[in-house]
Amino acid sequence: MAQLDNIIHQPVRLQIMSSLISLDQNEQVNFTYLRKLLKLTDGNLGAHLTKLEEAGYIKIEKTFVARKPCTFIIATGKGRDAFEEHIAALKEIVDGSKTQIK
Amino acid sequence: MNISQEDAKASLSSVRNVMGQTHKALSSAYANPSLIMWGLLWIIAFTITHFYIAYAFYIFMAMAVAGGIGTAVIFRVFHSKAPVKETSSNKLSPRITALWIFLCIYIVIWLFLFAPFTGLQCNAFICTAVMFAYIVMGLWFNNRFMIVLGLAVTAGTLVGFYLLRNYYCLWMALVGGGAIFSTGLYIRLRWR
Repeated sequence: MAQLDNIIHQPVRLQIMSSLISLDQNEQVNFTYLRKLLKLTDGNLGAHLTKLEEAGYIKIEKTFVARKPCTFIIATGKGRDAFEEHIAALKEIVDGSKTQIK
Repeated sequence: MNISQEDAKASLSSVRNVMGQTHKALSSAYANPSLIMWGLLWIIAFTITHFYIAYAFYIFMAMAVAGGIGTAVIFRVFHSKAPVKETSSNKLSPRITALWIFLCIYIVIWLFLFAPFTGLQCNAFICTAVMFAYIVMGLWFNNRFMIVLGLAVTAGTLVGFYLLRNYYCLWMALVGGGAIFSTGLYIRLRWR
């Protein structure tokens, strides 16, 4: 039986992970773009990204593009696995079986 | 801690929404400028060719050169502003470029193999070959708009070739160029 993930379950973090999982495994998304897409503030997005990074679900890379500082985010393999399990658990709940948040 | 079925449904719905938004926004960022440009080029080239058929070869050569330069400029401009970048291990852009270069080489080879042919046959062949590449790219990026566009313009080309020979160029300007331009415009306006 799949387990819900307490870190991913938080609505904003679920949205962040959903967006990152939509990309190919070798693609990183720009911080500003993610902030606009999810309609979040810098601080709010930053705080949730830190949580996800601490859990090892995402990797944050700070770099320079055209001499401007730029932050890119990518979902890790661990993050993709955790997200898939979380989604499986949600589907089990919708289908009627009980699931606990780990 | 348990969550209700309603909460689980809402979470899954939110996931689907964000994934759809991300996919559309990224497709929009890359696809629309080049589709709009190529659509306009098709409209202009086919319309001029209808009235000056003797210059068809030069008109389409000019279109190909302008389109190639335009595409390179668009990708260069958009690359620096791209919201998504690839990690160094597996870059997609060179493979897309390679696909189009190989397509051009193979079109030339096939034209030599199939010669002699009429101008109409040559044009319909190149149009359908290019649309085949659109379908391949659609399958590659999981972008159904590219697949539908490729199939629709291919069907339009066949209709023009077999049923509307006297108005083939005007038909292709309207159906081919119009479809490519409209798709680019639709993505730009609706997927933002």
